Amino acid sequence: MPAQPAMSTPPAASSMPAHEAYLDYAAATPMDPQVVQAMLPYLSERFENPSAPYARARQARVALEEARATLAHLIGARPGNVVLTAGATEANNLAFAATDGPVLVDAIEHESVLACAQARGAVVVPVTSDGRVDPRDVQAALTSEVTLVSIELANGEIGTIQPIREIANVVAAERDRRLRNGERTPLYLHADASQAAPVLSVNVSSLRVDLLTLSAAKLYGPKQVGLLWAADGVPLRPLVRGGGQESGVRSGTENVAGAVAFARALQLASELRAQEARRLAQLRDQLERSLREQIPWMITPGPRSAARRLPGLLSVSFPGLEARRLVVLLERQGVSVGTGSACAASRMRVSHVLQAIGLSEEEAAGSLRITLGRPTTSDDIVYAAQAIVACVHEECQRVGLDAQTGGRS
Amino acid sequence: MSARETGGRVFLGMSGGVDSSLAAALLLEQGYDVRGIYMRNWSRDLPGFRCPWADELADAERVAVTLGIQLDVWDCEAEYKATVVDYLVDSYARGYTPNPDVMCNQTVKFGTFAQRAFAEGADYVATGHYARVRHGKDGRPAQLYRACDEHKDQTYFLWRVDGHVFNRALFPVGDIQNKAEVRRMCAERGLGIENKPDSDGICFIGPVGLRTFLLDALERRSGDVVEWETGKVLGHHDGAFLFTVGQRRGLNLGGGPARYVVSTDTQENVVYVTADRDCPALWTTELSLEDCRWIAGEAPAAGSYLVRTRHTGTLRRAHVEPAGEGSCHLALDEPMRTVAPGQSAVVYDGLACLGGGLIART
Repeated sequence: MPAQPAMSTPPAASSMPAHEAYLDYAAATPMDPQVVQAMLPYLSERFENPSAPYARARQARVALEEARATLAHLIGARPGNVVLTAGATEANNLAFAATDGPVLVDAIEHESVLACAQARGAVVVPVTSDGRVDPRDVQAALTSEVTLVSIELANGEIGTIQPIREIANVVAAERDRRLRNGERTPLYLHADASQAAPVLSVNVSSLRVDLLTLSAAKLYGPKQVGLLWAADGVPLRPLVRGGGQESGVRSGTENVAGAVAFARALQLASELRAQEARRLAQLRDQLERSLREQIPWMITPGPRSAARRLPGLLSVSFPGLEARRLVVLLERQGVSVGTGSACAASRMRVSHVLQAIGLSEEEAAGSLRITLGRPTTSDDIVYAAQAIVACVHEECQRVGLDAQTGGRS
Repeated sequence: MSARETGGRVFLGMSGGVDSSLAAALLLEQGYDVRGIYMRNWSRDLPGFRCPWADELADAERVAVTLGIQLDVWDCEAEYKATVVDYLVDSYARGYTPNPDVMCNQTVKFGTFAQRAFAEGADYVATGHYARVRHGKDGRPAQLYRACDEHKDQTYFLWRVDGHVFNRALFPVGDIQNKAEVRRMCAERGLGIENKPDSDGICFIGPVGLRTFLLDALERRSGDVVEWETGKVLGHHDGAFLFTVGQRRGLNLGGGPARYVVSTDTQENVVYVTADRDCPALWTTELSLEDCRWIAGEAPAAGSYLVRTRHTGTLRRAHVEPAGEGSCHLALDEPMRTVAPGQSAVVYDGLACLGGGLIART
């Protein structure tokens, strides 16, 4: 049996494509040069351990706390409520560790939330065909035992923005009911805002959540840097024990460089957010239009209304074609796109998100996730559209689909 | 072969590796209509090891795109778990040392996969195995021969497959001189895969190691390590199922001379060892085989044949005496190191692989 080697080789660089277009910003973002600049000194000359007693180490501590203060300020919070973590997955895990007892999540949460929920006896509420969580479904499923509700602010695969404020109302009403009845079971609302943060406001008081996750990696900052904000009174419990850093909630020598970079990244994101959201929405619409002109049978899962979806995300499906194969063909044209979320793709299961919104197996297998980012230009979109159309038409011909109708020819 | 001219339909198992990738190119050049199938056998991630199958599939897909052939994924996990993974664990639990690859070829590649391929209209199935086959005429079973490259020959893993299935099997890389040539031919065809490292080990265990895998699947059970000659207890182990005859490492006896496992008793949970490399229990001239299979469908006539007890291992001359009920007796011309029960002993007549059996506990 040819067993599998530990590492596989990179694809052949047979011929250089004319142009390159990276369109998978929901999977990873390149660090902004300004973020790199901010971070660099803390990787070399300002390397000291913030817990050490001498003056230079004290400066590192000051830099760390300034970064925390900046992050807190940008989400409308106090610095003492921000815990720095090694990324969003850890922050989500930390949020779930805050309570015991059953939890409530929706069916299209990120793997890290679903995995935490499954370990706990979770109520999973369905989503509509455009991926929206109906607050009434949350209300109906919210039993008196539930201690945590976790709903992603915006989904990274089909782009649905959840009505988090309405869900916060439902949670608040249940909390009031418990208070009146003298029930002591706590109830918190958590939102993972990792995918939303580049384009949506992530102010904790206007979102009215109790716990919020953010990731630097989706914000043109470094990977493995994230945060969990927790409202006053939410009793965080450590998953990583040791020297008692981060108020004992997250031990381990602080990642000063990461924190500084994260703060700069969130600062830039906040400044650019409004204009980027508009610009990305235009580019996305330009891409959708170009594709639709040439491939009228393309389907676009996710919300119809532009107000309800992430502006830079285009989820498309070409039923009858294999997304896996399109990715390889596009890779040869220098175009990088995703199939479902990277986590699901690495397991090669049908994406749980596409399944939950009711896509057929054929539609899910033919789905690409195209996500635009800060470096994306109109030229990239023109090039990518032409490459996608060419690859789709080529595949149609190979498998015997009519390129104009998508039907069997 | 007439299917060559008429372009018969071949379903090729593609793993994303060098051999099956070249096989795809060669079959196309020979005029066959090729459909690639990626068999997904195992996708569970073990702690500390991410199963690389998605990367393997991506590699296979790149080759399929380059060659312009279809590649589909077939889910063989249920079959693989039942007949390969569970078989492996169960064998170790009973004190045997199995060859899971042998079972995989019988039940998955030339079992489930071949049946489904034929049901979907394949004239032939093909794999990147290093082996050669001569199809039988008039419904007679095919004959299996060792590959041209003796260092890569994989007939040791194919002995349980029925010769009638081999009648509709193709092994395009079996005729190639050596692996360097295979890589050169891949490069020549622009498959972009020629530098990919060879795979080895049991694919679903990978770098985690068998010990970790077995301790995850079976219960740790402390027992004695006993000196074979004296019966003296030398130390302790975590479960006799973790040890195999001839093993030297992992005994943890805290210094002293190197010791070898002579035998294991999984019932009593005892591991017997010796410091004497020439200990008679480490040598044998006779092997009893059970659960024998013969590619021709029936046992060969008693007589002198070549026998191999490990993949690409030495071919030793032995008198082979098939007995009833799938058993067979081997009398070796020269003594050899004892072989763990459960391992395959494969019988050859010159280049032809006739079949074999599993080494019985004696």
